[in-house]
Amino acid sequence: MAARADTLRGSGGPGAGVRIVFQHHALVRLTHWLNVPLLAGMIVSGLAIYWAAPVFEHAANPNTGSTDYLADLSVWIVRHVPGAAGYPRPTSWIYDHFSIGPGQLALALRLHWFFAYLFMANGLLYLIGLLAGGGYKALLPRRADLKQALAMQRYYLGVIPAKLLRRPWPHPVVTTKYNALQRAAYFVIPLCAALAVLSGWAMHKPVPLHWLERLFVNYNGARAVHFLMMVVLAAFVIPHVILVFADGWDTFRSMITGWSTRTRESRHE
Amino acid sequence: MSKKPPEPVRPRGLFTEPEPRSAVMTRGALKKWARRDFLLFGAGAAAAAMGFWWLLPDGAADNDLPRGAIDALDTTAARLGLTKDRRERFLNRSLTFDDDVAEALYSRDRSVRTYSKSDVTPLRNNYNGATPRADSLADWKLKVSGLASGKTELFSLEDLNSRFPLHEQVTRLICVEGWSAVAWWGGLRFADFLAAYPPAPGAKWAGIESGVNLDIDGNSDPYYVSIDLETARHRQTLLATQFNGKPLPLEHGAPLRLLVPMKLGLKNIKAITEIEYSAEQPDDYWAKRGYSKYDGL
Repeated sequence: MAARADTLRGSGGPGAGVRIVFQHHALVRLTHWLNVPLLAGMIVSGLAIYWAAPVFEHAANPNTGSTDYLADLSVWIVRHVPGAAGYPRPTSWIYDHFSIGPGQLALALRLHWFFAYLFMANGLLYLIGLLAGGGYKALLPRRADLKQALAMQRYYLGVIPAKLLRRPWPHPVVTTKYNALQRAAYFVIPLCAALAVLSGWAMHKPVPLHWLERLFVNYNGARAVHFLMMVVLAAFVIPHVILVFADGWDTFRSMITGWSTRTRESRHE
Repeated sequence: MSKKPPEPVRPRGLFTEPEPRSAVMTRGALKKWARRDFLLFGAGAAAAAMGFWWLLPDGAADNDLPRGAIDALDTTAARLGLTKDRRERFLNRSLTFDDDVAEALYSRDRSVRTYSKSDVTPLRNNYNGATPRADSLADWKLKVSGLASGKTELFSLEDLNSRFPLHEQVTRLICVEGWSAVAWWGGLRFADFLAAYPPAPGAKWAGIESGVNLDIDGNSDPYYVSIDLETARHRQTLLATQFNGKPLPLEHGAPLRLLVPMKLGLKNIKAITEIEYSAEQPDDYWAKRGYSKYDGL
């Protein structure tokens, strides 16, 4: 969208005035970026722990010897993804590439606790930043969200064909910091992270936290939720990064500097 | 004096999204600000990447990075003093930190959740090596030392069964690997045994050993754990002699195993041959291999 051009790069000398809006509290920016190494650490150690006794398992497959679904997915990848073809240990392709490796349980546990405490501390700092800057107000769901979410989906589905056909394809009018889809994502993802932490504690200390274990039905319930929340958090990164690229430099910069040159007026022309 | 435009009315409320705060700044000042923050961001990213590299085990990235990059990262880490030795100490500290948190959460009065016999699930033979042979247990006796009497006592299975009441419980055994199983156990309470044969004054630990434990090739490989006496005195800590209402089978630790459901499976030592009370914490088989010594659930 032409209206989203970066005004810092427009015409005018270094003394020219530029209007900026403050987008993200410093703590929100810091904790946002810390999530990258912390989540990566949780996942590479967590998958190595999961390898020791997968919760999603089945009877041994006579062809591959696999007893768990993640190993099945590994085998599928080795069979169908060109770069992985011919991998000597097909059942452990995912564990070999996305974890610190099979047979590393003792180290994986120590790494997992280290990253887990930092991840929890980071989550608390994030909440403090959201409260201090009032940023949480932009994340709360509201009544018109469903309608706007549908409009945004329609927009995203059509934006590439429309561009190819050189047809006008206006962005739905958004008068708030985030559109309804962003709001839903940024509201739900922290909840998923909280659920990952809670299910982690439920399986880590099921004796003192027996009520928490019950909340996930039983021990394996907590394990299943913990694994699925990892999948949700990892999967969220993909559209998140694509959409930031699509949205442009200003959006990326605002998560580092805190401000945006996109004022409400320049946004929706 | 220039006239200020009227302030826009900002909705103020706990849940209402306000108009964004805005300001007018010179292009030069903004560029400077952005440069500073991007430099900080880059420094932080480099530090995080280096720390990450340091914490990962050797070979973890062999599948993901080219050899040259791995060597360059290793050299940089070494120059910064990020050695393997320091990594081990650092990660051990994160383990003991987690144990301290667990100890703060723990209360000896808290009971472990119990199940009904219909909840019992299959329990696999989880001997890390070969299962001890029946003949190695033919003249089995439990040897107990570190007692207040100063004597070393020997107990046969009949001694234990006849001198102490049998307690049954259906609890979950949780392995450090993540699997778990609900099982029906029977045995004497460790607390009753400690009351009848008290440890020497000042003893805080029980070092429990299985001298008949075998490695994967069937060679002798004694297994040993430490249990603090407070945990040993918990009412759900058993010296188990029965499994599913029958004498313990070989694969589950015949003739006597420790059942501490508030600790991970690896503390639930099978085929006990010796107990020694001590003031200092004895070694743990798996702690020597990088696991926690605490292992509390």
